[in-house]
Amino acid sequence: MAAYIIRRLIWTVPVVLLVILMTFGLMKQIEGNPFRQTERAVPAAVQANLERKYGNYVKGVATGDLGPSLVLRDRTVNDIVKEQFPNSIELGLLAFGWAVLLGVPAGVLAALKPNSRFDYGAMLFSNIGFALPNFLVATLLIYFVSVKWGLLPTSGWTTWQHKILPSFTLGLVPMAYFARLVRGTMLETLQQDYVRTARAKGLRRRRIVTVHVLRNSLIPVVTAAAPLLGYIITGSFIVENIFAVPGIGRYYVTAVSARDYSVVMGLTVLLSIIVIFANLVVDILYTVLDPRTREART
Amino acid sequence: MRLRTPLVLAAAAVAAVALVAAGCGGGSESQPAADGGKKAASQVLKMAWGAEPPSLDPGLATDTTSSNVLLNIMDPLVRLGDDLQPVPALAESWDVDGKTVTFHLRADGRWTNGDPVTAHDFEYSWKRTLDPKLAADYAYQLYGIVGAEEYNNAKPAQAAALRDKVGVKALDDRTLQVTLTSAQPWFVQQAAHHSFLPVHQQTVETHGAKWTEPGNIVTNGPFELEGWQHDASITLVKNADWRNADKVALDRVEGRIIVDGTTRVQAFEAGEVDLLDGGGLPPADMPRLKELPEYEKYPALGTYYYGFNLKNIPDENQRRAMAFAIDRQSIIDNVAQADQIPATGMVPKGIPGFEVIEQHFLPTTADLEKAKEFMAKAENPKKTITLFYNDSPGHKEIAVAVQAMWKELGIDTTIKSQEFAQFLEFLGPPPNNAVDVYRLGWIADYGDPMNFLELWTSQSGNNNSNFADPAYDRLIEKARNTPNDQQRYELYRQAEAMLTGPQGALPIAPIYWYTYTNLERESVKDTFHINPLDQFDLSKVVIREA
Repeated sequence: MAAYIIRRLIWTVPVVLLVILMTFGLMKQIEGNPFRQTERAVPAAVQANLERKYGNYVKGVATGDLGPSLVLRDRTVNDIVKEQFPNSIELGLLAFGWAVLLGVPAGVLAALKPNSRFDYGAMLFSNIGFALPNFLVATLLIYFVSVKWGLLPTSGWTTWQHKILPSFTLGLVPMAYFARLVRGTMLETLQQDYVRTARAKGLRRRRIVTVHVLRNSLIPVVTAAAPLLGYIITGSFIVENIFAVPGIGRYYVTAVSARDYSVVMGLTVLLSIIVIFANLVVDILYTVLDPRTREART
Repeated sequence: MRLRTPLVLAAAAVAAVALVAAGCGGGSESQPAADGGKKAASQVLKMAWGAEPPSLDPGLATDTTSSNVLLNIMDPLVRLGDDLQPVPALAESWDVDGKTVTFHLRADGRWTNGDPVTAHDFEYSWKRTLDPKLAADYAYQLYGIVGAEEYNNAKPAQAAALRDKVGVKALDDRTLQVTLTSAQPWFVQQAAHHSFLPVHQQTVETHGAKWTEPGNIVTNGPFELEGWQHDASITLVKNADWRNADKVALDRVEGRIIVDGTTRVQAFEAGEVDLLDGGGLPPADMPRLKELPEYEKYPALGTYYYGFNLKNIPDENQRRAMAFAIDRQSIIDNVAQADQIPATGMVPKGIPGFEVIEQHFLPTTADLEKAKEFMAKAENPKKTITLFYNDSPGHKEIAVAVQAMWKELGIDTTIKSQEFAQFLEFLGPPPNNAVDVYRLGWIADYGDPMNFLELWTSQSGNNNSNFADPAYDRLIEKARNTPNDQQRYELYRQAEAMLTGPQGALPIAPIYWYTYTNLERESVKDTFHINPLDQFDLSKVVIREA
């Protein structure tokens, strides 16, 4: 097991290097200039001066220093990560929490009573969750919950009340996804021979479901969870923007349009490391859930 | 839709009533204010800023949000009234003698650490902004000063020598002498721009790039920066030691940063904030918002225009035809929707001298008859053109409208959108050959028509049209050296005529002059005000009882 983890960790190095190379190549391909953010032209000599700075920056990256933002002149990439990233992680985890807490039970219950009213209700809700784009859900929630009924604040990220709407909005798609996935795999598992065997030997239904069915049905869910976690931490630009959450998603997008090379680079590396680790954690979880994979991997 | 009662104000009002009923109301606080209603007991303003300020360093800030935070935590030499005339602030008076401007500073200017604000601070700050090592985007704001441009562009070896030649000198602690490259009568009002604010040398040198963070920052204005959580909030508190503190009503300004326009409006309607920063309202909501009593609009010094690439559309009659075919009023009423003013020239309405400069040539609504006459006169008109705009909200809709209007002239317009950074590179100058027409806007840095007209000189880095006329350049140079307002306005009139007059070259078709639109709770509406350069002074704001 330890050898497996170490091997995986060593593999992250070339992957990250490849990510850096590709990001850099792509950034340099698009036109634009980090030093020109307004209609005002940059005087030629100022431009030359700034480009000398840029040269220094590239040298810095080679020595492992992500350096300053080229556009936000008072802040470094590290500052941005340190101040904004915890908020994005919190938002992502809370959203993930909604997805697990509501999505998984909904899927389980729907599978246990297929074609019941509850099943139809849960799947209708799941379809809606899939179909509605984030920005629409966000706007509707703010309009009704905050502006019309005055129950929760419209935006911001200070108290727990502020965190409900953004995390729910962001969690909606994974929630719907989990519900459908769990329902599907549960139904499939319930048809398995070993479930019939368990039933035949007189095990109680509760025990069959929790020990035999649920555990085996969760493997595809765990598989899906890793990229999803990556997606909701990195993909929260719209939700962060609408709910004024001081997260990192918006820096990612604004840095690309401002050609803030160092910020784009720093964040890409950071996010790819997160996805790589989420995948690693999932692979380890497999071995816990499914003993068969243990031998194959060590 | 009806607005909800703002909870905060209601709570404040209840608290105030309770205090008075208990007989412990704090004297002056419940006195009637000079005009309008009674001053509310709680002077805590909750407002929404439209963006995270990219920098609170006066040398590096280039945007409206940073500028407005700075102008409230710092004390400029002068402030501008609505007529854009300079009003004494930290400078109690000034003398203008040809190319020499001398500011006389007040004795009671204090930094928040207790140090006096001196003329030396200004000399240090302006030279710092010009320092090639700082590489400040807005260093050009100071190019009117002798030696400034040379120092800003200096090679490292010559920088030290050129630094001493910059024409700004503290004669003593309270006298700042500035030598200009030409008599620029707008220089004193230009000093109200945030690029001319002082910084505290010791603080800057101690903390480096981190000197603007709360805890480090040393300022000298009516408010202090108490907290700044990036992307979330900016908290200002009254600076009790400011020279004019007894005239400042607000105790605190609790600012939230809400970038999304719709959310900003919703936060206002839910009563979470009482004021927006004038950063624009979402066009889709405009018809509804305009009906609210909290809606407010202010004239702005800015021009939204379409520029022509003169290489690709060389015939001025075609350009005239295209400018005449644009229905400016209809674009404002149906597309832009923010109560803008139809633009009939480059120099915007509201700027000093506008009445002299105005051309009375371009129509505010489409004049198709004339447009077709011009088109008929055009030799080899280009009937298939490409119009470029950047992909920020609102531009596409206007481009589509103009596309339909030009169709009436038999011109087929392809519209192409680019991301802003790419777009600016594409426009040059000189513009890419693919560009026939492009969209841009210009918001004034200072309130003199020069700021708009100098863009079209042949050497200007902001002239993307390939328009180059030595006679125009000479006119602008002459105006630069004409201190007399009326004589200068006359020169501006001639320059504007060369652009958008009956005989003008029409390198641009102006579309509209900007307006700032805002939502302001009625408790602050009568004291909050945005001037035409998009600046506001929170030290003048008083919260009235609801």
